[in-house]
Amino acid sequence: MSQPIRAGAPTGARVAYTLRSLLPWVLILALAVAMLGADYALGKATLVATYAIAGLGVVIVVGQAGQIALGQAALVALGAYAQAVLVRHGVPAVLALLAGVAAGALGGALASLPARRLGGLYFGMSTLAFALIVEEALVRAEPLTHGSAGMTVAAFSILGWRADTTLAQAAVSLVAFAIAVFGCNRLLRSRHGRAWRAVRDDEVAAAACGIAPAAVKMQAFVVGGALSGLTGALYAHWIGFISPEQFGLVFSFELLMLAFIGGARRLAGAAWGALVIVVIPQAIAILRDLLPGDWARAAGLELVLFGAVIVAVVVLRPSGLAGGGARDGASGQNGA
Amino acid sequence: MHIPSVIRFVRGLVLAVTAAALPAAAADIVGDEIVVGTVSDLSGPIALLGVPVRDGMLMRFDEANAAGGVHGRRIRLVVEDAGYDPKRAVLAARKLVQRDQAFAFIANMGTPVVMATMPIVLDAGRLHLFPFSPHSATYEPLHPLKFQNFAPYQDYMEAATRHMVRERGYERTCLLYQDDDYGLEVMKGVEKALSGLDRELIERTSYKRGATDLSSQIARLRAARCDFVVLATVVRETVAAMAEARKIGWELDMLVTASGYSAQTHELGGAAVEGLYGVSVLPHPYAEGANGQLAAWIERYRARFNAEPNVWSVMGYTLADLFVRTAEATGPELTVDAFARTLEGMEFSRDYFGSPNYRFTPEDHLGNRHGRLAQIRNGRWELITDYLQ
Repeated sequence: MSQPIRAGAPTGARVAYTLRSLLPWVLILALAVAMLGADYALGKATLVATYAIAGLGVVIVVGQAGQIALGQAALVALGAYAQAVLVRHGVPAVLALLAGVAAGALGGALASLPARRLGGLYFGMSTLAFALIVEEALVRAEPLTHGSAGMTVAAFSILGWRADTTLAQAAVSLVAFAIAVFGCNRLLRSRHGRAWRAVRDDEVAAAACGIAPAAVKMQAFVVGGALSGLTGALYAHWIGFISPEQFGLVFSFELLMLAFIGGARRLAGAAWGALVIVVIPQAIAILRDLLPGDWARAAGLELVLFGAVIVAVVVLRPSGLAGGGARDGASGQNGA
Repeated sequence: MHIPSVIRFVRGLVLAVTAAALPAAAADIVGDEIVVGTVSDLSGPIALLGVPVRDGMLMRFDEANAAGGVHGRRIRLVVEDAGYDPKRAVLAARKLVQRDQAFAFIANMGTPVVMATMPIVLDAGRLHLFPFSPHSATYEPLHPLKFQNFAPYQDYMEAATRHMVRERGYERTCLLYQDDDYGLEVMKGVEKALSGLDRELIERTSYKRGATDLSSQIARLRAARCDFVVLATVVRETVAAMAEARKIGWELDMLVTASGYSAQTHELGGAAVEGLYGVSVLPHPYAEGANGQLAAWIERYRARFNAEPNVWSVMGYTLADLFVRTAEATGPELTVDAFARTLEGMEFSRDYFGSPNYRFTPEDHLGNRHGRLAQIRNGRWELITDYLQ
């Protein structure tokens, strides 16, 4: 959670900053492997990295472009189903991955269309409606999606190599996440990133400067959708079974929560938020095993404790884990 | 930190990570404790089932432990709450496999959870026993480690619908179903029964899980002039459907699956659900009129959990009982494979709960295919047929 490096810094400083940023993650992973066992820890790492990719999308749409996105899980669903259907029809998983990204991006573009006329909460409601439409469409498109019955997805494979161990799955997800972070970082430092932040801070002023807010919002949604699609494509392989109900509103709110817990204005926030969302419930489950009989058996205990942790994080670090203790002011505006 | 200890730590990490690159090995031999894992729903949409099922299992395992365990080994049930979420379930299954070294998984709950966790369980060489899912993948294709004992919706609803239509001469059978795998399985059974009787399903209408207002669906069924409606609903929707029909003055027979066969149905529905038919795959444990053994069991359950048992508690208890009896029959040399081969030769006859026969063979890992009809009379379910073939 070190302070971001400024643009134009020397290469040595950049490398040092990158290593400094990675150090806590290496330590967390090493500790998790040592304490929980490699298979379990790497399984968690796989989901953290996969969630974090979608989290990057939320950071861009919500934290950078300032739009309310309440239906991000629908874009994950589009990626997951594109991947599952294509792999089932014999398309290599890597090519299907590209289609999954494209499906998410296309979905993002569609979801952003109401932004031409609506703003604020009303636009947020339209993204919610979009998510409901997608979920319903997946149920109705039974010949393609198997409807509510869901469909199984084979292991991810590249040229005969199958990612059917937790180490392989974690490696694929981490590589995908690294590529996504690199791409997002470039975008945030480009004129696109500056345009997103300009629209977020003052739409009228941005328009007066020659920025077309509707187009800029659509760009953010396309990028956010592509990242969600990538998450969905990987998710389909790691979980091995997808059904429309998995991508409901609860998942959308989880992704939104992920970004706010981690820090919606920083890319690093996606990773920290994913860590909290994925790991805390499991950590609570392990600690629960230490409680005496009746306490350990209380239904919904994990949920209550998880809620308490979320409230604590929001109260103590209102700008998110990656955003520092006080509200984010001028620092980290480019979100790197 | 001392340098050699750092080296040892790093070496351990490398070995652990390398091991994770290989497929998980089977936990074949158990020590002085048998760990049984379950990925349940204690906080999600089917927590109504998850809590009593867990309590029923706990009760049976506690009894076995109090009696000295299974060949001297204690049974420890580790419960993970996935809340019907496959993402949480995957992590929970990995925890149970690797951290808790679960010997077997029993009563995993919900189709998305079961489908997401089953490959992890089977790849790790652990037993996958009696999941709460209508999916045929829980017993087909035949796999040495997966067993199911819940009658498939399709099979028993086919028999129940056929029996009702044949006995009562309904002309216009319709279906109200939950828009998911559960509803689709029931629909297949109903359609098969009707086609066997040379009839058609006159009307079908669906709802999304969690719907509270079924007025439009009931109006549609009434417009189709149905004289018999099969309900692929759970408790709340069953009550809502019956109450709506009665409210608009529509008197007709309805038949609900075992998912609606619950004491909560008549407790919530009251007079509105009087006369409702249901399919039972295991009877509800009413204290009133219970045989001696059942009455004693109900008392023990109340004393243990300070709650009334229901049909889900009986299911949990029964599943744990099947496990304990099979482990005992396997003998002191308990391994995953020995347990599975023993279960393939087991037949569990009907007990004081009124359960069906459960029978497993090397060629068939589905223990039961049958349900029996019941009807709500005077505010409680009464069994009106034996198990339908």
